[in-house]
Amino acid sequence: MRVVIVGGGIAAVYLANNLKKQDSGVEVTIVSDEKNPPYDRIHLCRLVDESEDIGGISLPLDPTVRLELNQKINRIDTEDKRVFSDDSMFSYDKLIIATGSVPITLFDIENIENAAVFRSADDCDIIKAGVSGREVVIVGSGPIGLELLETLNEMPGIEKITLLSRGTHLYNRELSIDSIKTIEECYTKAGKIRISYEDEIVEKRIVNNEITLLKTKKHEIQNPFLVFGVGIKPNIQNFKESLKCNKGILTNLYMQSEDEDIYAVGECAEVKDINFVAGHVKECTMQADCAISHILGKDAKEFKLEASTDMLKVGEFDLVDVSSPKFSCGYEKVVIASKDVNRIDEYFINDDKLTKFIGINSNVDVGYIESLINSGDEVDINYLYQNRLIGERGRLICSCEHVYHQDLVDIVVSSGIGSFSELAPFSQAGRVCGRCKMMVSNIIKESQHLIDPNMPRKTPEDIQREKEVAEVAKRIAKFNTLHPRNNLTTDNLEAAMASLDIGKREVNSWISMVTADMKLHPSFEEVTLEGVKTLNKVPIVWLELADCSGNSESFIKSANPAIEDLIFDYISLDYHELLMSASGDQSETILEDIIKNQKGEYVLIVEGAIPLAMDGKYLRIGPKGETGIDLLKKCAKDAALIIAVGSCAFDGGVVAASPNPTGAVGVADALGRNDVINISGCPTNPINIVGTLLSYIMFEELPELDQFNRPLWAYEGRVHDNCERRGHYELGEFVKEWGDIGAKKGWCLFEMGCKGPYTNVNCPTMKFNGGTSWPVQAGHGCMGCTEKGFFDKFANERKYVEEEN
Amino acid sequence: MSTKKIVIDPITRIEGHLRAEVEVDEDGVVQEAYVSGQLFRGIEVILKGRDPRDAGLLAGRICGVCTNVHFRAAITSVEDAYKIEPPKNAQIIRDLITMALFIQDHVVHFYHLHSLDFVDVTSALQADPKLTSKEADKYSDHPFRNSDTHYEAVLTKLQNFVKAGKLGPFNNGYWGHKDYRLNPEQNLILISHYLEALEFQATMGKAVAIFGAKSSHPQTQVVGGVTSVADMLNPQRLNDYLFVIKEAKEFINRAYLPDMKIIASAYRDEMKAGLGRANGNFLCVGGYEFEDDQRLFCNGVIYGHDFSKIEEFDESLISEEIDRAWYSGEGRANEVCYTDLNEDGSLKTAKNDDKYSWIKAPRYDGKTMETGPLARILISYSKDNQLIKSFVDEFLNETDLELIDLSSTVGRNCARAIETNYICEYIFKLVSRLIQNIKYYDTETWTKYDFNSLEKSAKGRAFFEVPRGVLSHFVNIENEKIGNYSVIAPTTWNASPKNFDGKRGAYEEALVGIKIEDTSKPLEVLRVLHSFDPCLACAVHVIDAKGRELSSYKIKTL
Repeated sequence: MRVVIVGGGIAAVYLANNLKKQDSGVEVTIVSDEKNPPYDRIHLCRLVDESEDIGGISLPLDPTVRLELNQKINRIDTEDKRVFSDDSMFSYDKLIIATGSVPITLFDIENIENAAVFRSADDCDIIKAGVSGREVVIVGSGPIGLELLETLNEMPGIEKITLLSRGTHLYNRELSIDSIKTIEECYTKAGKIRISYEDEIVEKRIVNNEITLLKTKKHEIQNPFLVFGVGIKPNIQNFKESLKCNKGILTNLYMQSEDEDIYAVGECAEVKDINFVAGHVKECTMQADCAISHILGKDAKEFKLEASTDMLKVGEFDLVDVSSPKFSCGYEKVVIASKDVNRIDEYFINDDKLTKFIGINSNVDVGYIESLINSGDEVDINYLYQNRLIGERGRLICSCEHVYHQDLVDIVVSSGIGSFSELAPFSQAGRVCGRCKMMVSNIIKESQHLIDPNMPRKTPEDIQREKEVAEVAKRIAKFNTLHPRNNLTTDNLEAAMASLDIGKREVNSWISMVTADMKLHPSFEEVTLEGVKTLNKVPIVWLELADCSGNSESFIKSANPAIEDLIFDYISLDYHELLMSASGDQSETILEDIIKNQKGEYVLIVEGAIPLAMDGKYLRIGPKGETGIDLLKKCAKDAALIIAVGSCAFDGGVVAASPNPTGAVGVADALGRNDVINISGCPTNPINIVGTLLSYIMFEELPELDQFNRPLWAYEGRVHDNCERRGHYELGEFVKEWGDIGAKKGWCLFEMGCKGPYTNVNCPTMKFNGGTSWPVQAGHGCMGCTEKGFFDKFANERKYVEEEN
Repeated sequence: MSTKKIVIDPITRIEGHLRAEVEVDEDGVVQEAYVSGQLFRGIEVILKGRDPRDAGLLAGRICGVCTNVHFRAAITSVEDAYKIEPPKNAQIIRDLITMALFIQDHVVHFYHLHSLDFVDVTSALQADPKLTSKEADKYSDHPFRNSDTHYEAVLTKLQNFVKAGKLGPFNNGYWGHKDYRLNPEQNLILISHYLEALEFQATMGKAVAIFGAKSSHPQTQVVGGVTSVADMLNPQRLNDYLFVIKEAKEFINRAYLPDMKIIASAYRDEMKAGLGRANGNFLCVGGYEFEDDQRLFCNGVIYGHDFSKIEEFDESLISEEIDRAWYSGEGRANEVCYTDLNEDGSLKTAKNDDKYSWIKAPRYDGKTMETGPLARILISYSKDNQLIKSFVDEFLNETDLELIDLSSTVGRNCARAIETNYICEYIFKLVSRLIQNIKYYDTETWTKYDFNSLEKSAKGRAFFEVPRGVLSHFVNIENEKIGNYSVIAPTTWNASPKNFDGKRGAYEEALVGIKIEDTSKPLEVLRVLHSFDPCLACAVHVIDAKGRELSSYKIKTL
C-alpha cells in the first residue's frame, strides 16, 4: 500500500513513523513544501535566539519513509489517485493531508522586509535578521505571542518591545485580572517590554517595502519590526476544489474525508460531527492514531475529544491549562490565589462539573485535574482547596505523555541513563510535541547524582513490566472496593491456610506454577498472589448442566487440593451443586439473589452441555423445574464474564457427539454469543480455570484468545511440539503395538493414533494431578480432547485420516 | 391425615441432578418419597454405530466422579464379546487403578461429602484437648495423631476457621440441629481427620494417575490390555504407588475406622432400630480375583434381610422397567416419552402410572435391590468369605453390633469403612503379585488380536463391583459396529423409581418412616440419601436388559 502524506510538521512525521511501526510493509512518502526536513515548530524560539540550529530541532523520522521537500501540492486527482506539485506527481492508495495551518496577518506582508509571522524556520530567519535596532511590535497576546515575547526579551540586540492586545487580557480571555497582572509583571519587570491593552494598529506608513511608522490607538512607533501572532487558520487553500471543506477539510470520526481514500489529520481537518478543529499536538496525534487504525483496518478507533493540557513556561512563571471539550462560556469560576508565592489556581465550572483549569505557578496535581475533568464527576471545591498541594509525583513535565518530574527521576535512578537520547526506550517524554524537551533534559542532568553506581540497571523491558504489574495491582485494588455477599477477608484466607498447615513455601510454589501457566514473567508473582487473595471479591456462579462433574472433580483433586479447595471456597463460589452445603430452596434463593443484586459483577462458570431438543426439558433444575437452557440464559444475562469449562460446555462434548440425541450444544452456541471464554478439555486442567479467573481479575482486557475463544496462554502450543516423546518421533522410533519394545521404552505414539499433532493445549508441560502423569506419559497418547468435535473425530486409537470423517 | 410435600432440588454434595420429594405427616414422618433423576444425556444412543474399540473412551465420560469404572466396564464388555483375555499384568494394573479409586472415593465421600451430616463443628470448639486424646484411645489402640498438642493445634485451626467466616469446608447449613449427637471431644477428633483427609484424597488421586495418566477420566485402557507399561516397569512408579497405599492404610486403620466406631456408638439406637433401612434385598456380583481362585467379593443375592439363604447371582434375572420413567416401550423398543413436570415444577406422582424420573427401574427377579458396600459386606460375610470375615467381626465385636444393624443409614457408612480397610490389604497382595510376574520376565500388558479377523457380530457384557455398587455394561456388536449399548449403574439400582406395582427403590424405601424434625432443615433426608453416595450422572441410562437380550430402541422427537 502506498500512503502519501502531505505536510511537513509533527502530524505528518507522527503519521509516517507510526504507520511504519505498525505495518512496515506500507510505503510511506512525505511531501512537504518546506526546504528543511521536518522540524518541531514548538522550538522555533530557539532558532530566533540561535540557541539551536535547524538540525537541533529536527523531528526523528523513520529512515524508510521517503521524504520529498520543496513540493507544494497544488492539485489532487481523486479519480486516478494522484497528487501534483509544480514539477512532480505522486500516486497514492491512501492520501493523508496534514498541512497544518497558516498564520493570519492583518494586512499583506509578503513583500515587506520588517514584518513577519512566526510559523516556520524561514520566518525565524526573517525575524532574526530584522529585529536588531528596531522596536519590535508583537500583535496578539495569545500563547504564540507570549512565547516569542519571552525570547525576544532575552535577546541583547533588542531594546524595546510593544505587545498589542486587542482586549484587556493576556494568554486567554478567561483569565482573571490577578492572573493577568501576575503574568504582566514577569514581562514588564525589566522595563524592556510595554504591554498595550485595548490597542490595535490604526495606521501604517510603508516606504520601499519597509514599514517606517506604525500608529496604534495609543502609541506611535518609528522604525518598527512587526510580528503577527494573532491566530491561525487551516491550510487548505489548494484542496477546496477537490474536497468538501468548511473551516477545515471535513472528515468523519476516523479522519476520513468524503473521498474514502483521503484522510485529513491535524489543524487542517475539521471533524464534522463535532465541528472540531485540532489546536494541540495531543489532539493531532490522537487523530493520527485514528486514521492509522482505520487505514490499516485494525480495531478502528473513533476520534474522541478528551481534556487537553497546555503548558507555557516563560521566565519566572509557568502556566498550566487543562481544558475539557465541554467547556463553554456559561461557567462559574473559583479562584484560589496565594499572593506570596504568586500562585493562582482558576477553576472553571459548568453545571457543577470542572471543565477547565488554569494555574499560574500552580503545583496542583495535573493528572488528578485531568481525571476529574474526564470523569465528569461533580466537583467539590473544598476538596480542591484542601488538596492544592503538589502530588507525590511532582510537577507534570510532559503533558503529552503524562510524565511527572518524579517519574523521570525514577527512570534515571533505576536505569542509569545519562542523556535525553538514552531516554527514548524508557519513555517518550519530550518527544511527542517536544515542548518540554529542555525540561526533560535538565531533569536528567540534575538527577545524575542520584544514580547508585552499584545498582543493577533496569532495562526498558523491566520498567515496562513494572508498569504492567502496577496496572494489575491497580485493577485488583478496584475489585477490593466491591462488596459482594462474600465478606471474607484476606486475613480469613491466611487464617484458613494456617489451619490447613499450608506453608508460605507451598503457597509460593503454587503461585509460581499458576503464574508460569499464564505465561507471565516471574515478576508478576506478587500481583498474582494479590489476585488470588482478591478472588473472594468476585461472586461466582458455577452451573452444572448436562455434565459428569468431571471438571469440578478434577478441580478439587488437582495439584494442590488443600490450596485449591480452599481457594474454591474462598472464591465467592456462591452457587455450586456439588460443593455447596445448602440444598433445595436454600440454594435457589442464593442464586436468585446473586443474579438480581450483583448484575454485571458476577462471573458465570458453566460445566456441561445444554440440551436444546424437546424444549430443553432433558435437563431440569431446581424446585421449579427450570430447564437447563432457561437457567443458563437467566444466569448469563447479567454476568460480567462467562467461562465455559470442559468439552461439553465448549461444544457439547460427548453429549453432542453424533447423533446428538438431546440436541446438545456448548454454552456459546446456546446463548448465541461470541464472548464466552472456553477452557476446553475432558476434563480441563484445573490450573487453567484458576488462570482464567485470575487473568480476569488482573487485566483490564481479556486474555488473548484463539479462534475458539480459548486463552492463548493455555491453548497456543501444539501437544506434538512440546511432547516429551518428540525426540523419538524425529528419530523414527514408534510404538507399533501396545506393550511392545517401543511402548516399554517410551517411544512416539503417533502410529498408535496419538492426536498430539492436531491438538493445542498445555498438557505436556502442566500434566495432571500435581505433575504425576498425562496420557502420553502413560503410553496411551493424546485423544485431542480440547479440540472441537473430538469425540467424533479423535476419540480412538487409530491414526487420524482426514477422509475417515 | 393431611400430608405436606417437601421438594429438595438440587440436592447438593452429590454428583448430578437429583431431586427428592417427600410427603410428611403432621409429625414430620415421611409417608412417601419420590426420587428423580433430572438429566438425560443418551450416551448409549451416541455409542451406537461406533467402532467397538472406541466404546471405552466415550463410555468413560458417563461419569467424572466414578471415573474410570465405566471406561473399564466398556473395554471389558467388548473384550468379553471378542473373547479376548487381557494378560494378568494388565488385569492387575486395571485393578490397581480401580482399587485406588475405591479408597479415594470412600474417604472423600465419608469425610467431605457426608461427615458434616453428623459432626457439629461448633461443638468441637468446646472440646478439651486432653480429654480428646483419651476419648480417641477408647476407639483405637493407636489413634491417628493422637496427642494433646495436636488437638490443641486443631482447635486453634478451628478457631481460625471460625474467624475465617464461611470459609473452608465447615459451612454446613445445619449447625446446631438437635440431632447432632457427638460430644465435643468426638467432634474434635473427626474434624481433625477431616482436615487430614483433604490432603489424603489428593495423594490418592496421584495413585490413580500413576497408572491411569490422570484423574478424573484416566486414559490408559485399550481393548486387550493397558498402555502404561513403561510406568509398570519403572520401579520408582510402583514404589510411589505403594507408598501412597501405605499412607492410606495408616489413615484408614487409625482414623477412618475408629471414627466410624464413634458414630456407630453415638447413633447405636438408630442402627438398632434400622433407621434408613431399605427393603432388605441386596445384590452383589462379586469379583476381583484374589489368589487361589478366591474373589475379593462374593456374588450373591439376599432377600428381606434373610442372611441364612444366599442365592447365587443370575444375570438372566435382571430386567428393566419403565412404567414410571420417562420412556415408553412396546415390545422391546424403547423411546423417550417425557411427560413433563407439574405446572409448579413438582413431579407428577398423583397417579400410580405417572412418570417422574429419567432413571429406569432395574429389577432382579422383579424386585428392587440395594447395591453398594453394604450389599458386598453382607453377602460376602454371609457366604463365609474368610478374607473379609475378620474385618467385619472385628468391627461388630468392638461396637457390639450385629450384622443386621449395618442395614441402616449409619450402618451403610460402617460397611463402607470396613470395605476400605479390607481393600487396602488386598492391594498389597496385588502389587506383590505384579512384582512376582515382572521378576519372572512376564512383562506382557496387551493381548494381541487382529481386529479384521475378529467376529463381525458378537455380544458381550461386563459386571463389576465399583465403589457405589453393581455396574453392568452390555454391548451388542453388529457388523463391526456397536449395534446396541446399555448400562445399569449402581445408582440406577438404588435410586430406582417406582413401578406399576408401587414398589419403592432403595432410596425411596429408606426415606419412608424417617422423622423430619424441622422441615426447613431436612438434615434427616440428606443423611439417608448421602449414605448411599448418590451419583446421578451414572444413573440415567436408556436400557433394557431383559435377561441377556439387549433391546433395540429409538429416540423420537429429535
